[in-house]
Parts: sequence; C-alpha cells; structure tokens
Amino acid sequence: MSGETGLKIRVLFFGATAEVAGTRAMELELAADASTGDALESLIDRYPALASHKLLYSINQTYAKGDERLKDEDELAVFTAVSGG
Amino acid sequence: MDFFELTNDPLDINSVARRVVPPECGATVTLDGYVRKFTKGRETQHLFYEAYVPMALKEMQKLIQQAKRDFEISNIGIVHRLGMLEIGETSVIISVAAPHRRAAFAACEWLIRELKRTVPIWKKEVYADGEVWIEGEQAGSTPA
Repeated sequence: MSGETGLKIRVLFFGATAEVAGTRAMELELAADASTGDALESLIDRYPALASHKLLYSINQTYAKGDERLKDEDELAVFTAVSGG
Repeated sequence: MDFFELTNDPLDINSVARRVVPPECGATVTLDGYVRKFTKGRETQHLFYEAYVPMALKEMQKLIQQAKRDFEISNIGIVHRLGMLEIGETSVIISVAAPHRRAAFAACEWLIRELKRTVPIWKKEVYADGEVWIEGEQAGSTPA
C-alpha cells in the first residue's frame, strides 16, 4: 500500500468518532482499488473503539453503502447515527 | 421561498415562519424544537450541537425537494442551530406554508422525522457530572 501505487483520501470525524480517533481529520492511504467499505475497515483496525458505535459514513458528502470505489483525494466522513433536531 | 440554514446565532421563530409565506397560502405550520431539561430522568445543563456543515446543507435541501414532491405545500424553511445551547433555547425551526393546513402539518412532521434520521448533526448532552454524545436510534442513511 505505497503512496505510489495506492490512493490517498481525506477522512473526517465528528462528535463521538472524533473523540474516539482523537482527531477531526486525517489522511488515509489505501490500495488503488479500495472501496469505501475497505476504508472503513482500515479505520476500525486503527481505532478499534469505533466498532462499538453504530457507524454511518459518507463519500464526498453523500451517504455511502460500502461498495463505492474510492478515488484520490476523496472525502470520507465517519460518524455515529445522527442526533440533530 | 425555500431556505435551509445552519447558524450559531439564536433563532427567531417568528421571522423564520414569516419568510416562507407566499400569497396563495392559508396556513403555516412551524415546529419549534428546543432544549429539554430532562431526558430519561437525567438533568441536562446545556447542549452542544455539531454538524458536518456542507453535507448537512445538502441533506436539508434534499428533504425540501422530496417534501415538495410528496405534499401539497408551497414553501419550506429549515434552520438548525449549532454550538452551545442553554435549556429552553430553540435548536431547530421547520416552517411549512401551504394552501391548506393538513398538508402543512403532515409535511412538517415528515420533515422533522427525516431530519433526525438523515441530516448529519449531532448533539452532546452536558450534565453536572459528565457529557455524552447522543447517537441516533437508527443507523439511518438515505435509502438509495
């Protein structure tokens, strides 16, 4: 998974996930053919406490299902079930 | 006109409600959502709201478009407050103007239900002895 052959995306966290990750934004390097689901798996490997939350995620500000193919510089956001209102 | 906004400033329900009214309408239904003092018996001191702002605005716009397809209504305004809110302060206003009231009530109810399910905003409840990010009931992404 080198930067040369892979891709690099931007990851955003909010609320509870930002607390788990200890950051609100980071860069993540992935294999060139990675999907949104692969990215989520990689983040859960890095921050296992994420797995204890009901997670939603989005790619470029649209809800993702897991099978979307990632491109360089995509914006992936990982967050808990929303609680506005 | 329709509008959807996020703001850190206090909300004024009357001005929001009046902005949605076109001449053909006979009723505006406005939801005033505000900060509860007690949730499940625990006393909240204040609330903090955070949003993924660009996506939240997109999702609010989608809700307005969907509601205007599904209900006989004219205009919708949605404004959600962010940041620190004291007990009793308004966190969300949804105003729906329609020629007739039934459609306005139905659309307003649908809009708040969907907003709570799909718009990426989170609230943190702050108590005397701690704080908790509230997680929604359902992992409810927008259906494909």
